[in-house]
Amino acid sequence: MSVIATKNLSKIYNPDKVPVQALKGVDLNIERGEFTAIVGPSGSGKTTLLNIIGGLDHPTEGKAFIQQTDLSTLSDKELIKFRLNHIGFVFQAYNLIPVLTAIENVSFVMQMQGRPTEECREKSLALLEEVGLKDKVDKRPSELSGGQQQRVAVARALASKPDFVLADEPTANLDSVSTAELLDMMLELNERENMTFVFSTHDQRVIDRARRVITLVDGQIDSDEER
Amino acid sequence: MILNIIKLGWKNIWRNPTRSGVVIVAVLLGTWAGIFSAGFMNGMMQDSLNNQIQLSIGHVQITDPKFDDLYNPKYAIENPDEIIQSLKQKPYVKQVSAKSMVTGLAQSTRNSYGVSVYGIDTQKDTSLAVKQYLIEGDFLEGVSRNPVVIGMKLAERLDVKLRSRMVLNFQDVEGEITGGAFRVAGIFDSFSNQYDETNVFVLQEDLNRLIGNPEAIQNIRIDTDDLSKADVYAAELRQEFPNVEIKTWREVSPDLRYIFDMMDLSLYMVMVIIIIGLIFSIINTMLMAVLERTRELGMLRAIGMNKARTFSLIMLETFFLTMAATPAGLLISWITIQYFAKTGIDLSAFAEGMSEYGLSTIVYPELTLDYYLNITIMVAVAALVSAIYPAYRTLKLNPVQAIRKFN
Repeated sequence: MSVIATKNLSKIYNPDKVPVQALKGVDLNIERGEFTAIVGPSGSGKTTLLNIIGGLDHPTEGKAFIQQTDLSTLSDKELIKFRLNHIGFVFQAYNLIPVLTAIENVSFVMQMQGRPTEECREKSLALLEEVGLKDKVDKRPSELSGGQQQRVAVARALASKPDFVLADEPTANLDSVSTAELLDMMLELNERENMTFVFSTHDQRVIDRARRVITLVDGQIDSDEER
Repeated sequence: MILNIIKLGWKNIWRNPTRSGVVIVAVLLGTWAGIFSAGFMNGMMQDSLNNQIQLSIGHVQITDPKFDDLYNPKYAIENPDEIIQSLKQKPYVKQVSAKSMVTGLAQSTRNSYGVSVYGIDTQKDTSLAVKQYLIEGDFLEGVSRNPVVIGMKLAERLDVKLRSRMVLNFQDVEGEITGGAFRVAGIFDSFSNQYDETNVFVLQEDLNRLIGNPEAIQNIRIDTDDLSKADVYAAELRQEFPNVEIKTWREVSPDLRYIFDMMDLSLYMVMVIIIIGLIFSIINTMLMAVLERTRELGMLRAIGMNKARTFSLIMLETFFLTMAATPAGLLISWITIQYFAKTGIDLSAFAEGMSEYGLSTIVYPELTLDYYLNITIMVAVAALVSAIYPAYRTLKLNPVQAIRKFN
C-alpha cells in the first residue's frame, strides 16, 4: 500500500498574472520503507512537490493521497492536525526553537499531540539516544553543531510517529562528516524501523545513498530509478 | 499543552534581552510616572478639597427644609438642642457647629456688598476653621458691642479697618428689613477671596436679637471622622431626623463635588495617556519579534501547531513582556508615595499661586489601593490590546512562504 500517492498533480503559481507551471501531471507512488530522493535542477518543482505531499500547499489540479487520505478533502484545520499526526518534517536550516533544549524541542511535537508529559520525556530521550545525542539532551540549539541540530530535527520529525519523513535538502548546510553521519543514522532508522524517508536534494552524497531517485525536470518526472 | 505554550512564551521574551529590557523599563517607568503623578495630584487636590470643606461647609449640614430656598431666617431648625445633643453622641461625629444665619448687605460709608452673616456662639463653637486665618484683631472679642469679623477682601471693598464701624442689613423673622451697626473686631484672610468677600461672623446673641428669634439656629454643620462616608452618615441622620433637611458636602457644594469627581477622572486620564504611549511601543516591539521569527513561526505551523496556539503564543509573550515590569512599577510607586506621604514635597517656591487655590505649600501624595488595582487591570488590558495586532499577523502567516521551500 502506498504511503504517498499523487495523481496527475499540477501546480500553477500566479495563474491570473504571470503563470508559472511548477508541476505538470505528476503521478507518483511511494511505498512504506522507501528511502527516496527527489532530485532535479532549481525550478524543476522539487519543493512544490514536497509542499503538496506535505500538506502545506494545494495543487491546482490532481490529487495527493497520504495513506489513502485525499488531502484535498481536508480543511485547513484538519490539514494542520493531519500534518501533526502523519508527517515528520526536516528542514534545511534545522529550524529548531532556539529557546528550548534538545529534549524540549523533541517533546514539543508530542505535547502538541496531547501526549502525557512523562511519555513525551521518555520517548524524547529514547529518540535523542537513537540519533546519538544522549549526552546533549539539555543543550540548546546554539550549543550544538549543525550536524547535531539536524539530528535533533530528525528526532523531532520522528517524535509524532509519522507515516513518513519529508526532508528538504537536509544536508545542504552540513559538512561531509556530518552529512555522512546523518545519512547513516537515517538509513539505520529506515532499515530498523521501516521508516519512509523522502528527500529533495542537490547533494550527490545523498543521491548516491538513496534507494530510489526520482528526477524532476520542468515539473515532470524525467526518470524514476530504483536501486 | 497550554502550560508548554506559557513556558515557551515566557522563554521567548528573554530571547532578545536588550529589546525586551527596553520595553520592560518603559512599562516600569510609565507605571511609576503615572501612579506617582496621580498620587501627587490626588494629594494636592485632596488637600485643597479638605481645606475648602474645612473652611466653608463641613461634611454634613442640617437646615430647615425651607431655609435653602430664600435663606429666610424665620425657617430656623426646630429643637436644635435636641438634635445637637443627639449628634454629639454619635461616634463618627467629630465636631458640631450650630449657627444662626441670614443673607444681607454689608455697608460702610464708602461701599456695600452682599454677604452671608453667621451668628456664632463663641462659648460653644470654639474650633471654627476661619479662626486660623485671622490676621488682625480677635475673633469676636475686644469690642464691647456688636463685634463683627470680616474677610480682608471685604474690608478692602468696603474700605474699613480694624475697629471701623459698618452696618449689616438683613431680613428678620417677620420678613421686615432690619439691621445693626457693628464694629470690626477681627479680619481674616483665607486662601479663598470669594469666601473672604462674602462671609461675615457676628455673635449669635447679636444676630438673633436683630432677627427677632433669640433661640434661632438656621444651620448645623457636622464634621465626621471620614469625609468619604458623608453619604452614609447623612442617610443615617435622615432616618433619625426626618423633619430637617440634611445635605452632604456634595449636595451643599456642587462645584466642589464636580472638582472631586473630575479629579478621579483626571488621575486616570494621566495613566491612560501613558498607557497609549506604551501600547504603541509594545506593538512595535512585538511586531518586530514576530516578523523576525517568521520562519520559526512558519515552521511551527508546518509541523502542526494550529492558528489558535500560535495566536495564544504571541498574546502570552506580549502579556508577559508587559506584565513583567508592572509589579516592580507598582512597588516602586507605592514606596515612593509612602515615602513622600511622610516627608511631603515642599512647594513653598510656588506658595503664592498655590494658596489662591487653597493648596498647602507641602504636598503629601496619597493614593488608595483601589487605584493600584485599577492600574494593574489597565496595564493588563493594554498588554492584551497591544498583543492583538502582532498575534493577528501570525494568523496571516502562510507556512510555505514563511519557511520558503521548507526553509
